[in-house]
Amino acid sequence: MSKLDGIKVRVEDPTTPHWVTENTRPLLHEIHHALQRLLEAGEVKTIDLASLPMGPADEARLLEILGVGEVEACIDAMGKSVIRETRFPGVWFIEHFNTDDQPMGRLIDITFIPTLLLSQTEDMRQGLAQLSLYLQTDDAA
Amino acid sequence: MSLLDFARGPGLHWAFIIFVFGICWRFVGTLLIARRIKLSTPRRTDNWLMGLKAIETRSWPVEEFHRVIRFQHYSGYIWHISFFIVLFFFQPHILFFKSILGISWPGLPNDVILVVGAIAVATLVALLGRRLSHPVLRKISNVDDYISWLVTTLPLITGFMAFAHVGGRYETLLALHILSVELLMVWFPFGKLIHAVLVVPSRFQIGASFGRRGVRA
Amino acid sequence: MPSKTLGESLFERGVSRRGFLKYCTALASIMALPPTAASAIAAALEKAKKPSVIWLEFQACTGCTESLTRSHAPTLEDLIFDSISLDSHDTLQAAAGHGAEQAREQAMKDNWGNYLLLVDGSVPLGNPGFSTIGGVSNLEMLQETAKGAAAVIAIGTCAAYGGLPKASPNPTGAVAVSDVIKDKPVINIPGCPPVPVVITGVLAHYLTFGTIPELDLHGRPLAFYGQSIHDRCYRRPFYEKGRFAESFDDEGAKEGWCLYKLGCKGPITYNACATVKWNDGVSFPIESGHPCLGCSEPDFWDKGSFYQALAQGQWGSAAGLGTAAAVGIAAGAGAALLARRKQHQAREEQP
Repeated sequence: MSKLDGIKVRVEDPTTPHWVTENTRPLLHEIHHALQRLLEAGEVKTIDLASLPMGPADEARLLEILGVGEVEACIDAMGKSVIRETRFPGVWFIEHFNTDDQPMGRLIDITFIPTLLLSQTEDMRQGLAQLSLYLQTDDAA
Repeated sequence: MSLLDFARGPGLHWAFIIFVFGICWRFVGTLLIARRIKLSTPRRTDNWLMGLKAIETRSWPVEEFHRVIRFQHYSGYIWHISFFIVLFFFQPHILFFKSILGISWPGLPNDVILVVGAIAVATLVALLGRRLSHPVLRKISNVDDYISWLVTTLPLITGFMAFAHVGGRYETLLALHILSVELLMVWFPFGKLIHAVLVVPSRFQIGASFGRRGVRA
Repeated sequence: MPSKTLGESLFERGVSRRGFLKYCTALASIMALPPTAASAIAAALEKAKKPSVIWLEFQACTGCTESLTRSHAPTLEDLIFDSISLDSHDTLQAAAGHGAEQAREQAMKDNWGNYLLLVDGSVPLGNPGFSTIGGVSNLEMLQETAKGAAAVIAIGTCAAYGGLPKASPNPTGAVAVSDVIKDKPVINIPGCPPVPVVITGVLAHYLTFGTIPELDLHGRPLAFYGQSIHDRCYRRPFYEKGRFAESFDDEGAKEGWCLYKLGCKGPITYNACATVKWNDGVSFPIESGHPCLGCSEPDFWDKGSFYQALAQGQWGSAAGLGTAAAVGIAAGAGAALLARRKQHQAREEQP
C-alpha cells in the first residue's frame, strides 16, 4: 500500500458495486412462473445463469433475494458442486466448480430434487459389481 | 465494405458535399436572380420594414382564414417542433453533431424522445392523409411533395427501428437510418425542402414587394 | 488409441457419472444449449470417437493459442482437449523442423478425409516468402492440408477475416482462410482472441453431434455469435434510458452506465463475451468499464477510432465541404447572372 500512496490512486471497494440494474426482475418472474408450472404440471426447469446478462451487482442481488433454505448438499465429482435449496422450496441454486475450485457454472433448478443428487444407475451398477467382488473375496478368505 | 461502413463513410461524405453544394447553389441563385423591372412609383418607401413584418405575420394563420387552415397550420408547427426535438436532443444525434461541429449540448431522456418522435410520425401521416383527401390540396400537389414527405418520414421510421432493434440486425438498421438521412440531405436542396433555407428570405421579399404596392402581406 | 470412445477413456480415468454429467451441463452452457440438453450431450459424447485435429498457424500473434491454453488446468478446455487427438500444433508440440512436418503428414495420412483442420492467422498472397513453415508457403500448406479435412475451423479474426495483417494498407496481401478454401465447410470463430470456451464449444459441438453448427452470414456459429454484445449486455437498461458515461472517469462511468458514447461497438458486434465472459467467467471488457472494440467483426481495425461513437460518421473534411460550398456559390451566382443577362438582352431587343 505504501507504494500506492505515492501515486494518486483511489482504491474503491470492489465487493459492493453501488449501481443496480433491473436485470434480476425478469429472472425472478421466470422463476415464479416455473415454480407455478412445477406445482401445477410437475414441469421441471433449469435456468443457466451464464446465458443471462448479469452485472456484478445483479448476481449478488439475486442470491440475496433467493436466500438460503433448509437443504445444502455438496458433491465431490471432478471438483466440488454445491447444491442449495433457496428460501423458496423447489427453487435450487447449483454451483459447479472444477478441481481447481474455479466456478464452472451457476444454475437455478426449479424441481423437487436436482437430478445430480440422485445416484446414477451406471455408477450404481459399478458399485454393485464392486460390492459383489468384495463379498466374494471376503467369503473366500 | 459493409453497408454500415458505406453509410458512415463515403455515403455520408458525399451526401454532405451534395447538401452543401445544393444549398449554396439554390440560396445564392435565388438571391441574385433577376428582379422584376419596377415601372410604377412605390406607394411606400419603408419596404424593408414591411418585409420584416411579413416574416412575423406569416407565422400565424390569417384571421379571415383561421377556421379553414388552422389544422394545417398548427399541425405544421407540431411536426416541425417535434422533428427538431428528435433531431437535436436525442443523445446519439448530439454525438453526431459533436463530431461535425465540435460542440455538444445536453440531451433529453430517451422516453421523451420516443414520445416526441411518435408525435412527429403521427403528424406526418395525418398531413399526408389530408393532402390525399383534400381535393384542392391534392390537385396542387406534385411529385416533389410526395418525395419530400417520404424522405423526411423514412429517417423517423428507420430511427425507431434502429432504436427498438426491430426488423433486422442493429448494424443493418443503423445503416438504413443513416442512408435515409443521406437521402434526405441529397434531396433537400433540390426539392421543396429547401423552404427551410428560403422561407425567411422569401417571406421578406413578398412582404417588401407587397409593401411597395401598398398591399397587406 | 483412436478406437476408444470418449466415455470409455473418461470412465477408465475414474470419472464418475455425476462428474461427467456435471461437465456436460457446463458443456451445454458453453454450447449455448439449454441445460436440459446435458443428458443428450452426455449420451452422444460417451459414444464419440476422438477426432484427429491438425492446427496450423500462419500470420498470427499466437494470441488465439494463448487464449485457449491460458485457462487454468484442469478445466473444460482440458476435457475437450483430452477428447480430441491434437496431432499437430506448431506452437504446442515438442517436435520442431522436419519432425513437426512429419507429424502433420502422418496425421493427414492416418485420418484422410476425417480430421479437423484448425487454422489461426491469415494467409499472405502477396509474396509466398512472407510467411513459411519449413520452406512451404502458408497458401500451399493450407491448400494441401485442407484437401483431406472434414472441415476447416478458422480461429481468430486473422484466420476468419484477415485481421490485423489485412488491415490497411495490407502489406502482405493477407486474406482469410475462407478466401482460399472454397470447397470445404469453413467455420469462423473470430475474436482477437476468441473466447476460449467458444473455441472448445465449437469443437464440443462437432464432437457431440458430428455436424457443422448452424452459421451466420460471416460463417460464425449462431450459438455463440447469434446475438450482439449489446443484446446481452447487463448495461443495456442504461442505454434504453439514455444514461451514458461521457468519459472514463465521470459519475456515469462510476455508476456503470452505458458506454455507447465512449465508442462501444457492442450494438454491431456479435460474440458471446457478455454472457460467457472472460478469465474463467470473471468479467468482460464492458464490465471492466471499457467499450467493446468489436474484435469479432470483419475489418474492425479499419473502422476508425475505437473511441468514436457509432452515431458519429466520417462526414469528410471541412476543406471538402468548403470546396462544395464554393462551387455551389459559383454555380448559383453564374446561373443568376446568366438569367440577368438574358433579361437585359430581352429588354434591349424590345422596341
